[in-house]
Amino acid sequence: MSKVSKWDELQRAWIIAVKDVRIYYLRPVAIMFGILFPFTLFLSFTVGRDIPLDKLAPMLLAQTVFWASSSIGPVSIPMERRVRTFDRYLSAPLSLVSVLLGKTIAGMLYGLAISTLALLLGMFAFGTTITNVFALILGVGLASLEFSAMGIMFASIPTENPGDVMMPMNFVRIPLLFISGLYIPISQLPAVGQAAAFLSPLTHTLDLIKYGLGGSSYFGVPANSAMLTLYTLLFIGVGISFHKKIMKMQ
Amino acid sequence: MDYAIEADKLTKYYGDFLAVDHIEFKVKRGEIFGFLGPNGAGKTTTIRMLTGVSTPTDGNASIMGYDIVKQSVDAKAVMGIVPDISNVYDELSAWDNLIFTGKLYGVSKKKLEEKAEEMLKRFALYDRRREKVKGFSRGMKRKICIAMALVNDSEVLFLDEPTSGLDVESVREIRQMVKTLNEDGLTVFLTTHNLEEANQMCDRIAIINRGKITAIDTPENLRQIMRNVQSVEISFKEASKNMAEELQQLRSVSSVEKRGDKYRIFTDEPPLVLKEVWDYAEKHGLAPVSINTLGPSLEDVFVKLTGREVEEEVMRGGRGMAENIGRREMR
Repeated sequence: MSKVSKWDELQRAWIIAVKDVRIYYLRPVAIMFGILFPFTLFLSFTVGRDIPLDKLAPMLLAQTVFWASSSIGPVSIPMERRVRTFDRYLSAPLSLVSVLLGKTIAGMLYGLAISTLALLLGMFAFGTTITNVFALILGVGLASLEFSAMGIMFASIPTENPGDVMMPMNFVRIPLLFISGLYIPISQLPAVGQAAAFLSPLTHTLDLIKYGLGGSSYFGVPANSAMLTLYTLLFIGVGISFHKKIMKMQ
Repeated sequence: MDYAIEADKLTKYYGDFLAVDHIEFKVKRGEIFGFLGPNGAGKTTTIRMLTGVSTPTDGNASIMGYDIVKQSVDAKAVMGIVPDISNVYDELSAWDNLIFTGKLYGVSKKKLEEKAEEMLKRFALYDRRREKVKGFSRGMKRKICIAMALVNDSEVLFLDEPTSGLDVESVREIRQMVKTLNEDGLTVFLTTHNLEEANQMCDRIAIINRGKITAIDTPENLRQIMRNVQSVEISFKEASKNMAEELQQLRSVSSVEKRGDKYRIFTDEPPLVLKEVWDYAEKHGLAPVSINTLGPSLEDVFVKLTGREVEEEVMRGGRGMAENIGRREMR
C-alpha cells in the first residue's frame, strides 16, 4: 500500500469539490442565500434611487460574490452531517484540512460562477466595462476564496440543520452590507464608521471590484489585497481549528 | 505484524460523560471480530475512533500497524467502513457513489471501474447502476454502502450493525458475503447487538457495556459462561399465587421470574426442567397453555456479564473467559 502524498490529498479535495458542485449548487437553500438574496437586496436598495449606472455593477458583483461564496459550506456541511456522509470524508484517507479545502473550493467556484453572471448582467444592463482586469480578478478571486472560507468556518457549528449556521452567519453578513460602502459611500461615514469599514472584508472586495470596473479605489489595490489575504488566512485557520475541536468533542 | 487492529487504553469522553473507558483488545489478521453491546454501550464510539471519525480523548489504536492519530491518513487507506446508517449519496447513482468513493481512496480509473462493476454485479445491482440511490430500498442502500467500503480493496472492514433493520433475505446475503470476503483474507470488525449474528459469524467476540469491555473470547467459550441463562417459559390456564416460589424449589431450576401471565424458569438443563415442570403441573392439576424453551437473550447475557454473579464465576476461572475482563471490576 503506497503512502498518501500531499498531491493525492489535493486531488481528493478537488473530487469533493466536484461532487459538491453536483449535489449542492441547486439546493433551494443555496439558491435562496447564494442567488436570490444578493439580487433581491441589490434591487431593494437601488430601484427608485438615483444611483449612477457605473456604481451599480460593482455593488451587484461585490454582493453576489459575498453571498454566493459563503453559502455553500453552511449548506453542504450540516446536510452531510445529517445523512452522515461527512463521516465518509473523515474516514477516508485524507486529512480534515483537505476535506475543508474541497468544501472551500466548492464555495469559491459557486461564488465565481454567480458573480460572473452578475458581471455579464452588469455589462449588458448597465454598460459596464472592465478597465483593470487584474484588479477585478484579484477582487473577485480573493473574495470568493475568503468568503467561502468564512462559510466553512461558520459551518463548524455542530448542527445538522443549515438554518442553524445561516442564522448566526447572517448576523455578521447583513451588518457588513451597511458598513462596507455598498449603500453609503465610505467617505460619507463618520470616523468610527470609516474605521469599521476598513476592518470589513466586504469593503476591500467592493473597492477592488470598483477599481477593476473603472471607478476609483479608496484604500488602494495593495491594502485591499493585503486585507483580503489576511482575512482569508484568518478564516481558514480559525475554521480548521474549530472543526478539529468539534471532531474531538464528537 | 500479527494484528490488524490494536486498541490500547482507548478512551472517549463526551464532556464529563465517559463513553469508552480505557478499552484494550487486539484483532488478529483474517479474523471476524464481533463487538457486542447494548445500545449506548460504546460500540459506535469505539468504531468511530478506530476509523478516524472521532478523535480519542486518551489512549491509542492502530490499524495494520498505522497509528490512528499520528498516521491517520495511512491507517484510513487500508480500511473500509460501513456505518450503522447507510450513508450513501441519494442524489448520485449507484455507479457514481462507488466511483466517488474509489476516487477518494485514490483507486486508478481502470481498476475502479472494474471493481465497481464487480461489486454491483455481486450485489445484483448492476442493472440499476444508473439509477439514483434515492429510490433504492433500505436493503439495497445497505448493499451499496458495503460495496463502497470494499471498492478500495480494504484490508480491514468495519461493519457497524450491518444487518440492522433489514429483511431476512438481505440479512442472509450480507452475512454470506462477509463470510466469503473473510475467507479471501479480509479482517472484519463487526459491531452488533444481535447475539445470534455474532455467534454465527465471529471467530471471537468482545462484549462492551457502559464503555468497558467485560469479556473477550470465542463464541463457544462465552456460551459456556452463559449456559445457565437458558430458560423455559411456561404459562398455565390457572396459576396459584405462590407458584413462582414452588417452581423455584424444583431441583434443576436456577431462578424464576413472573412475566405477565408467564413464568420464566432459568436453568442450565432445559430438558430436565421440562420434565420436572410437567410433573409439577400434573401433581397440581394444572393445564399448560404454552411452553417455550429459550436460549440466552442478549439482555440475559448482559445482566450476567455485568453482574457480580458472573464476575465471581470468572474469578473462579470461568473457562478462559478473561483475555481482557474489565480490569477494575475484577479487582
